[in-house]
Amino acid sequence: MTLELVNLRVCVEDREVIKGVSLRVERGEVHVVVGPNGSGKSTLLSAIMGLRKVKVCGGSIIFEGRDITDMPSYERAKLGIALAHQNPPEIKGVRLLDVMNAMAKKYGCSDCTSLTKTLLVDSFLSRNLFVGFSGGEKKRAELFLLMLQNPELALLDEPDSGVDVESIGMLARAIESLRNRGTRIILVTHTGAIMEKLSRINKVHVLIDGRIVYSDSPDVVLPVIFKLGFKKGLEVLVGGV
Amino acid sequence: MYSSEQVLRALEKPALYGPDIDLSKYRIEEPDVGEAREVDQVVVNAASRVGLDSSSLAYVQKNEQALATMMTKLLEKYGVVVLPTREALSRESIARELAWRLVDPAKDKYTAFTYLYGGEVGYFIYVPPGVKVPIPIYTCLSIVSNNVVQTSHNIVYVDEGAEAHLVTGCAISHGVKDGIHIGISEFYVARNAKLTFTMLHAWARGLHVRPRTAVKVGEGGEYVNYYVTYSPVASIQTYPVVYLGRNTRAYLASIIASSEEGVYDVGSRAVLEKPGAAVENVSRVVARDVSETYARAEIEALESDTKGHIECLGLLLSTNAVISSIPVITSRKRGALLSHEAAIGLVAEEEIDYLMSRGFTEEEAKSVLVRGFMNIDAPLPPSIKKQVDYILDMVAKYAVG
Ligand SMILES: Nc1ncnc2c1ncn2[C@@H]1O[C@H](COP(=O)(O)OP(=O)(O)O)[C@@H](O)[C@H]1O
Ligand SMILES: [Mg+2]
Repeated sequence: MTLELVNLRVCVEDREVIKGVSLRVERGEVHVVVGPNGSGKSTLLSAIMGLRKVKVCGGSIIFEGRDITDMPSYERAKLGIALAHQNPPEIKGVRLLDVMNAMAKKYGCSDCTSLTKTLLVDSFLSRNLFVGFSGGEKKRAELFLLMLQNPELALLDEPDSGVDVESIGMLARAIESLRNRGTRIILVTHTGAIMEKLSRINKVHVLIDGRIVYSDSPDVVLPVIFKLGFKKGLEVLVGGV
Repeated sequence: MYSSEQVLRALEKPALYGPDIDLSKYRIEEPDVGEAREVDQVVVNAASRVGLDSSSLAYVQKNEQALATMMTKLLEKYGVVVLPTREALSRESIARELAWRLVDPAKDKYTAFTYLYGGEVGYFIYVPPGVKVPIPIYTCLSIVSNNVVQTSHNIVYVDEGAEAHLVTGCAISHGVKDGIHIGISEFYVARNAKLTFTMLHAWARGLHVRPRTAVKVGEGGEYVNYYVTYSPVASIQTYPVVYLGRNTRAYLASIIASSEEGVYDVGSRAVLEKPGAAVENVSRVVARDVSETYARAEIEALESDTKGHIECLGLLLSTNAVISSIPVITSRKRGALLSHEAAIGLVAEEEIDYLMSRGFTEEEAKSVLVRGFMNIDAPLPPSIKKQVDYILDMVAKYAVG
């Protein structure tokens, strides 16, 4: 039960954005990816999900022993991979409720109602998808839809960005419940706000300019990075303690 | 009223828009009018193509045969009169007063043909003052043979302060290849009355459709026109006109799913005749294959203190389909507030990509997006909205399938 990236290279509009990333995530693990804006965090998650806007231009993605590098995203979704997008598109005319119902048909939905409570999405279920949603509402709706997929591997792209304190609490609780089910998680965060509320993070990777330049346990990486910033922090980390 | 010479001459007169049809190529059946205890199975099947339950139908037309059903007895309890127009013209003086008043028989060859040879087949509906009919009035017109002309002359009068919801389904029986349907509709909404008119259509590949509709809305009245068409068709050309009096409201909506080699020339025109008149003219076109669609919309303000807005949106699902959006706003007095917006685009790739990551195949994703695109907030009663939603679900599947 593994996700494995083997020297993965990803191109966006003919430009190489991810320049050879290798990574292994085992069942029940939570990995965090941090890195400056534009370093390729979203591109990396998009490639694992198989979004069409990114192209794999080298290396491979192995999920549970299968090479899924060329598989369309909806088939990856069937295998249990799900992505909470950093900036989901606003879709007029389609209500959150419509998507929820369509997904419930696909994935079944035993705990739909408890999920709507955990993430408090009731109040915007009948609104057009993401249209005029606040930052917190967007992230909660995204995580809600991701959880409907009951994923084996959850890719969370900055669930804590632009979000009010109350929403952070709800999101953290939802993510905890995911990991308690044994879902593997790759969490991208820019601010780190959510990490304080999550237990047992296995590894933090620092992504800079499309490369993982440092990986270690959160206790080692986070204090340094968040205190000194990526550039200085890395010098300290790599320079050797 | 009209000199028959004028009308006879109009038999040669092509319509302003749409492909010109040679009516002599089709045969017309002998008009026949009566009552039906049960709805014919072919009509039951045709009605189900547009989601209509045959047991709710008050008027059924099969080719040139017009039948009032048992449902009319139930409607009678509310004082509502539903009759084949031909019968109404002989029995009800109001029908005679209203017939061919809003639509000129000499307008073009289709109106002239119906006036001269149609035999006044069609429905007449009268709703007495103050009566708010609690159930929708359903009618269904269907063509069950090849190569015929179907004519239908419909007259509706909703009297002062009354309210009615009319749903008409037009559906072609399975296996019918060609023909032409001409529908003349003259609707009157009296002072403070309200009428919603929902039209659901499923045609056939070789069929031409030429409705001619005019609606007059009296002071304080409200009119909602909701038009949905899907399925292949040879050509449709319709441009209903709505005349709006003082303090009136109208909502005119067309949802069109164009396909194959069909020509869809569809729109509506509103004339704001008195201060306080307001109209919203909304259309959604989803076009695939090599279809050709002209989405017309026109608002003409004759008075100040009037309001009108046109919203024409088109979605191209194939590189060979054509959508032409033609909004026109004309103001003849200062103080009329008129505006329009028109846009034609493709299904957004970003939205498809998003839904695919949620587990939808490309086709499912497109269908969800097309369905969403067709969602408009029309002021229809909940029961009819449900029916419309059912049809739109089919239309969305059809449009991408
Ligand atoms: N649609 C796109 N077109 C062109 N360049 C893009 C597009 N999306 C992302 N990029 C570029 O790819 C790089 C990585 O972006 P992204 O993965 O979003 O970074 P991060 O998530 O780490 O902030 C950036 O330089 C960004 O400008
Ligand atoms: Mg990002």
